[in-house]
Amino acid sequence: MRVLLTLLCVWPAVGVSVARAQTDYYARLGVTFATDLVTDNITQDIITQQSLAPTLAFGVSFPIAPAYSAGLETALSTSGYHSTEADQDTDLGTLTTGSVLLNLEGPILHRANWRAGLGLISYLPAEDSGIFLSGGTTRFLAGAGLDYRPPLLTHWDLMVSLRYDFHRFSTDQLDARGFTGSQGVQRVSLSLGLARARR
Amino acid sequence: MKLSAGLPILGTLLAAAVGLSCADIAAPGRSDVYEWRFISSTDPGTTDTLSFHWPRSMLPVKIWVQDTLDFSNHVTHAIDVWKAAFLYREFDAVLVPDSSEADIIVIADSPAKLPAGAARLERSLAPECEGGTDIVPLPGSRTIQYPVRIFLLPRFDPATPGVSECLRLTATHELGHAMGIFTHSPVATDIMYVDPVVSELSDRDVGTIERAYHVQPNVSVPAH
Repeated sequence: MRVLLTLLCVWPAVGVSVARAQTDYYARLGVTFATDLVTDNITQDIITQQSLAPTLAFGVSFPIAPAYSAGLETALSTSGYHSTEADQDTDLGTLTTGSVLLNLEGPILHRANWRAGLGLISYLPAEDSGIFLSGGTTRFLAGAGLDYRPPLLTHWDLMVSLRYDFHRFSTDQLDARGFTGSQGVQRVSLSLGLARARR
Repeated sequence: MKLSAGLPILGTLLAAAVGLSCADIAAPGRSDVYEWRFISSTDPGTTDTLSFHWPRSMLPVKIWVQDTLDFSNHVTHAIDVWKAAFLYREFDAVLVPDSSEADIIVIADSPAKLPAGAARLERSLAPECEGGTDIVPLPGSRTIQYPVRIFLLPRFDPATPGVSECLRLTATHELGHAMGIFTHSPVATDIMYVDPVVSELSDRDVGTIERAYHVQPNVSVPAH
């Protein structure tokens, strides 16, 4: 988790400093929706879910073949998370997720690109309690996305991005409490940003 | 869309589909619990089963602790132990400096002094100290005795080995009563056993308090 945090903090600066003529880099701001983290039942069903999360993402990529690039994208999302039982929500605190994806990128149409990659996601709760009593967790992540980049300024493009990713979630505390298996979590994010112009 | 362009995306979606096809997380059974409700006989052949937990609207529960015998540390430990039993913030408590604003009062006194007509849970009988909790409503009432009173008292000189440990586990035991476990566990390895000898919650204690906080109570806190 420390490695992931270090990457999250350092990578944007490193990415900018090593930027060269063909290096692509961008920053985006958007929101992320995630499906249920935990489904439980004590006397009736209890669902734990992260709320819509503001998301900040940075990315950098380098050409590896004509029309194809490889890159690294980091994203940080912070929001509340809550449990729902019999239509009653309980605020469980604040949850930050940080992700790193190693992506392959390629063109679709003139201003649209696809990307797909593998990486890691870390859950960083503000307080070690409840399902995070034994701390956060880091899981493998698979993601894909689409970018649309119309020109905006001389050296910058507008970047409209749609992302989807998937991982399986559990925590040490859930394991300790007798939960078995892990929960498939899907996330979808929509964001706007600026990208270095490719012209 | 270029055909080759879509392959990695299709690959990712395929990986996601494979992941999704795996079974989701499965909750534990939580079947190993003991009776926590107060069951009293009313008329012959009739019983009254009373259950209680602190409503979310009153969290954090406010606890005033008499400043003696390291009670503050013992009760803080007890709060932490019980809070850790929950996954969904069903319970929280804080210490307050003024007894007039407290929901629970912890007093260094013998549980023997009982207001006339009041009901009391069976006393905790650890050898080095004793404890008791006044919470159970009067017969026919549907509100707890408020504020709840917890009594803790060493049976020997407080410096005697074992007394501090006894006060600590008894504080945890009595807070369990004040949270809504109105009866004692029949198993000695549970903190809610009548003569508690363990210092932490067992899986049965955890399962029982979880159940108690997810069952609709029929006893409430009186207007105050």
